[in-house]
Amino acid sequence: MKPGSRKKALRYFFQRVVDPLGYKFTPDEEMADFLLEQEVILEQKHGIPFCPCQGLTKNREENMKIVCPCIPFHREHFDAMKRCWCGLFVHKDVTNPDELPQIPVSQIMRKEG
Amino acid sequence: MKVFIYALSTCPWCRKAKQFFKTNNIPFDFVDYDLQSAAEQEKIMEKMLKISGAGSFPVVLIGNQVVVGYNPEKYSEILGLKKGAIA
Repeated sequence: MKPGSRKKALRYFFQRVVDPLGYKFTPDEEMADFLLEQEVILEQKHGIPFCPCQGLTKNREENMKIVCPCIPFHREHFDAMKRCWCGLFVHKDVTNPDELPQIPVSQIMRKEG
Repeated sequence: MKVFIYALSTCPWCRKAKQFFKTNNIPFDFVDYDLQSAAEQEKIMEKMLKISGAGSFPVVLIGNQVVVGYNPEKYSEILGLKKGAIA
């Protein structure tokens, strides 16, 4: 499948997964396109569209937690940021994703604890 | 102040972090984790987990301070850059 077609397919599939979770694609189209393109490259390399902003390790179980859309595995963290780590998805009420910084998980868990 | 960036070649925020330091003429070193050998990746991830507790990129070391994620305000604050530093 051509990268452009695969991007479209991922977009269709991801939309159906993230919508019931209260998320949508970032309104920053350029960023969404770039991230999807990276995921297509990662999928070609590893067979799975992993998050482009989280590192793969030798631990398969841990790697499965960064398969896009990885929201269910990081729910508290992402809900606190109103975005996922790479920013492909944001909460449905977000209109300006530039206002949402990346916050390390350690900082969020500290706040809650 | 020495700056080092743990990055991924696929991560746009890592690219933005590198660009921030370039644009503000601050020398930095970096490693693209995903472009390293498996053995090297293991070493890097071990360090990253010690430093940040997670495998999320970018991780930026500025002197002895650690910033996880793309955060130009925090980079500027640590470096003592005036407000309005180019992000």
